[in-house]
Amino acid sequence: MMAGVLASTRLAEVLLALKIAFLVLLYLFIWRIVRTAARELRTPHQDSMILTPAAAASVGLGAAAPPAPRAPRLVVQRSPSFQPGHEFAIDSAPLTIGRAAQNDLALAGDEFASARHARIEARRDGVWVQDLGSTNGTYVNGARIEGAHRLEPGDVLRVGETDLRLETKARRGAS
Amino acid sequence: MSYRNRELASLVAVGVLTAIGFASVYISLKSQLSAGSLGYAAFFFALYLAAHVVARLTVPQADPYLLPIAGLLTAIGLTEIYRLGPRDAFRQGLWIVIGVAAFAGALVWLRRDYRVIESYKYLFGIGALALLFLPLAPVIGQTVNGARLWVHVGPFQFQPGELGKIALIVFLAAYLREKREVLAQGRLKDWGPLLSIWGGSMLVLFATDDLGSALLYYGIFLGMLYVATARVAFVAAGLGLFLVGAVAVYRGTPHVRDRVLNWLEPWTTHKVYCPLNGRMTFRQDCQSYQEVQSLYSIAHGGFGGTGLGHGTFTTATGRQVIPDLRTDFIYSALAQELGLIGAAALLLLYMVFVLRGFRVALVASDGFSKLLAAGLSFGFALQTFVIVGGILRVIPLTGITLPLVSYGGSSVVSNFLLLAGLMLVSNRANRGAA
Repeated sequence: MMAGVLASTRLAEVLLALKIAFLVLLYLFIWRIVRTAARELRTPHQDSMILTPAAAASVGLGAAAPPAPRAPRLVVQRSPSFQPGHEFAIDSAPLTIGRAAQNDLALAGDEFASARHARIEARRDGVWVQDLGSTNGTYVNGARIEGAHRLEPGDVLRVGETDLRLETKARRGAS
Repeated sequence: MSYRNRELASLVAVGVLTAIGFASVYISLKSQLSAGSLGYAAFFFALYLAAHVVARLTVPQADPYLLPIAGLLTAIGLTEIYRLGPRDAFRQGLWIVIGVAAFAGALVWLRRDYRVIESYKYLFGIGALALLFLPLAPVIGQTVNGARLWVHVGPFQFQPGELGKIALIVFLAAYLREKREVLAQGRLKDWGPLLSIWGGSMLVLFATDDLGSALLYYGIFLGMLYVATARVAFVAAGLGLFLVGAVAVYRGTPHVRDRVLNWLEPWTTHKVYCPLNGRMTFRQDCQSYQEVQSLYSIAHGGFGGTGLGHGTFTTATGRQVIPDLRTDFIYSALAQELGLIGAAALLLLYMVFVLRGFRVALVASDGFSKLLAAGLSFGFALQTFVIVGGILRVIPLTGITLPLVSYGGSSVVSNFLLLAGLMLVSNRANRGAA
């Protein structure tokens, strides 16, 4: 009789210990996964190419760029259609970007670009980009733009899955 | 640590958790300490180890947490099913083996490039519709609890709607990738697919009296449409159409009217007519009996729960208190035995799974993969919400399974296929980034 009571209290203790162990381990498991997820969010690999205006200024691409800088061009950073480093010169004629073949920058392999996505135009006060009512929007340094937006040298323009950086200085090594 | 080694480490943790869960159920049922329960944990560990080896060979770069979370959910489910009826646990264990086999088969079959299935999109679309309407077929269809969603062939019975869900997501991912541009412009003629799918899902709702699946299908459609077009207006319009349809169904179908009544007023203070036995009783003793008992069950668990194996699910005479406890109401059984802390952890597991799924969609490189991963994750999340929300009286209760946890073969197999889909997309996305 006494042994039976003892055994049942021992069983109850074992069960309580198992219950606590189960719950603690369960939460540790969840915590481990969430911690990994949080770490991944802190270093988003897809935005690593984007220069903030501050970073652009620190490498000498000042915000108060003089009008009509020398040989402005768009350099491909990342694109399903072009090799990184590919350059497109911006001259007096506007440049259209989109997935359709009649664009000056035809992003045939970019499924996230609209047929006519955006237009690049060199004006007297700098290079301007205008979204042409695209589905997924046009982004400058990670921020979606509305209407026309002036690009500063070093700005990264995103159309669909394509990143283009505006460069105005002569090629490194040549200067 | 590499992806697969992280997965292995997590699977070891899952094995330990399973062992603890089974041990405590076993000890409470048999009132003795024994190592017999460890057999179950070993069985599970071996099964997931096999799945892990297949993943290592076919999708080495896939997300390392999807498989362990899914494994833990099935283990928790089987533990609870074992606790409620050891015989059912054997059948469910068999289904889990079949599910893991289907998972491995899908990985091996589609290891090179799963995007080949994109070219069979109409086959998947028609397949989804056929599976959806299959329970209405005269000989094999079967009505269970007022909803006609079972198919009976010989000794087998299954819910084809569960597999139809996966087929629908594959079809929508392929279709929307092709048509997203025209849809986003929002011309009236492009609304055709939206309206026809809305009509189809309402038709199924009328024909089968199955609110849960209709809600699930339509929700998946709207969610994926939003992912594809990024137009909130479409979602708003879709929800508006759903409300119109819901009101019409409410007016026309007594079965649905009952559900809403049980949701809004499960308790009555005066006796109302009970259609089940034709007498005047309180509603909590008649139509809403199941919901009310389930709420009592959750409340009985309190903060810390009664402990696995210690819940009260039968009366003194041995009659089961809540009908359908193993399938639709397994959440209330778990909430009683694990308490608020444990039930919250269970929901967190679902959330983390969905979080990983959406991450896969974010890093995927092409439109079909993004839509597929987002659709699979969203379908999983919505199904969990519909059943848990129904049990907790957030929305009217509709009987669908709690993914991976509930008793039911078709649900387990289709959710393992869903897992395989996410891991295939994830493997390709991570391989491209590396």
